[in-house]
Amino acid sequence: MKICQIIRPLVSTNRIAMMEHKLLQVVQDGSAQAVAVDAVGAKPGDWVICVGSSAAREAAGSKGYPSDLTIVGIIDKWPPESDEA
Amino acid sequence: MQIVKVEGSLQCTARIEGLKHVALRVLQTESGSRLVATDPVGAEPGNWVFVTSGSAARYTAGDFEILTDLAVCGIIDHWPDKE
Repeated sequence: MKICQIIRPLVSTNRIAMMEHKLLQVVQDGSAQAVAVDAVGAKPGDWVICVGSSAAREAAGSKGYPSDLTIVGIIDKWPPESDEA
Repeated sequence: MQIVKVEGSLQCTARIEGLKHVALRVLQTESGSRLVATDPVGAEPGNWVFVTSGSAARYTAGDFEILTDLAVCGIIDHWPDKE
């Protein structure tokens, strides 16, 4: 799973029907930007965890949902400034 | 399967049910990039572990329902052996 930061929601009214009305977010993963389905309701600026492969489809809704990147959790504190052991 | 170093654990209370209550670890690959994996083994920060990715990662915690694509499989006893 990757650690990404939410940039902003992605608006795409003309999309395939299988995507239904799920919220899509633009996420920043290091230098690359990607689109992830939001299953937890994060807001811009949040640090989140994104999952890929078959887990992304089930996290987004059903086994057949066409997603390869889904947000599954919002990190409590990131980056961990105090580098305690 | 990749060999990575455990950087620390990750606290994430707002998560989907599919993640259940599994421990999450922050891992550092040899190329320096950061990854997050579920950890059924209980690795400590600083341990070298090997991980499995993709849908295989979902079988490591016993049941297939855990929604992860990366999971710790075991802690390596001696690594790196260059020293």
